[in-house]
Amino acid sequence: MMPAYIISTGLISPQRTFENDFSCDADTGGAPILTAVEPDYRGLLHPVQLRRSSRILKLGIGAAQRCIHNAGGRQPDAIIVGTGLACVNDLETFMKSIEESGEQGLSAIPFINSSHNTVAAQVARTLQIQTYNNTHCHRGASFENALLDTLMLLQEEEYKHVLVGGIDEFSMHYYRLLEEKPVAGEGAGFFLLSDTPPGNNSVKISAVKTFYRPPEDFIARFLEEQQLPAHQLDAVVLGINGLPADDAVYRRQIDTFFPPHALLAAYKHLCGEYRTAGAFALALATHALWAGAFPAPSVLRPGASGKLQKVLLYNHYQNCNHSLVVLEGG
Amino acid sequence: MEKTALVEQLKAQIIEALLLEDLTPNDIDPAAPLFVEGLGLDSIDALELILLLEKHYGIRVEDPKERREILQSINTMADYILKHETEV
Repeated sequence: MMPAYIISTGLISPQRTFENDFSCDADTGGAPILTAVEPDYRGLLHPVQLRRSSRILKLGIGAAQRCIHNAGGRQPDAIIVGTGLACVNDLETFMKSIEESGEQGLSAIPFINSSHNTVAAQVARTLQIQTYNNTHCHRGASFENALLDTLMLLQEEEYKHVLVGGIDEFSMHYYRLLEEKPVAGEGAGFFLLSDTPPGNNSVKISAVKTFYRPPEDFIARFLEEQQLPAHQLDAVVLGINGLPADDAVYRRQIDTFFPPHALLAAYKHLCGEYRTAGAFALALATHALWAGAFPAPSVLRPGASGKLQKVLLYNHYQNCNHSLVVLEGG
Repeated sequence: MEKTALVEQLKAQIIEALLLEDLTPNDIDPAAPLFVEGLGLDSIDALELILLLEKHYGIRVEDPKERREILQSINTMADYILKHETEV
């Protein structure tokens, strides 16, 4: 598959990432729920949009606008979003009002804001992009499937720049339903991807693959497919979330497939667990490649060489949806 | 209800229904147009105002022309509500 180059990122998360600060040293204080540090949205959203948009729409539009700003205002040719639960809080509000009112006299705003593709649509409306617009909802692999769509779209050569994002907001109702509760999180991460390198110090996504309940050796098979020997990996970024059952899956892979010299990093203690947390991981690793180092709070085990060029992102959600993304620095 | 009190009540209800969080009732001129100028509302807001009349005052307005006349300003809304109460 043809690689995609990362032109810029825009990330709203529980860390101060909106200002492109990836030191990841925000004090989360061991909180069970990590909520996003939101910017002042005035100036990012039209006043009417600002008052009518739900929180997740503000998160999404804000992050997308920041990504475009960081790209020097370069406009995308297409918009793709991955989301697990999308506008879940507005959906709950709307469903509740249906029940309470006996399906009569329903307010329009929660209805408009309640569908899964609202974020991608509102980003397109804000940026006035009327071309390809798609939303992927595939549980814990939503963002990675959006990435895959992006790479395939760029490969078709019809589009040169694609804005792709991963977004989910915290829902207390959903959180209460979970039997095993990891540190919960939320965030909106957008990336402007291009089919050509932006210049020096570029970062490219060279492979993306998603798996559903894969066999134990799927990482070895994937690396073989990519002709990427494990010893060439300088860093592996893991979705460790603090739940023993989930983390045991990563531990088995660390012991079996990952080279002992590679740096190991984790991020869900920084952004919390949510279905599109992979977008946080991609932004973290991209900025690490640009800066030449991962921020200290993310490092589980330092690398032996200090070299940072090839990075593997490995995430899984409830041991069902697994994803692998290969990043390479220029 | 006195018209002055009704106008103040409507202002508060409109702020809540239309999520006009940056405004207080004192910021709203009851004689100013609701749409385009004044509060600068749009067609989705018009739907919410029609719902507001139904939910809080038991008034259903089916005729689009009549809706436009009622929703000119907060004063015209208050006048219609008072007229409706008298008729009832």
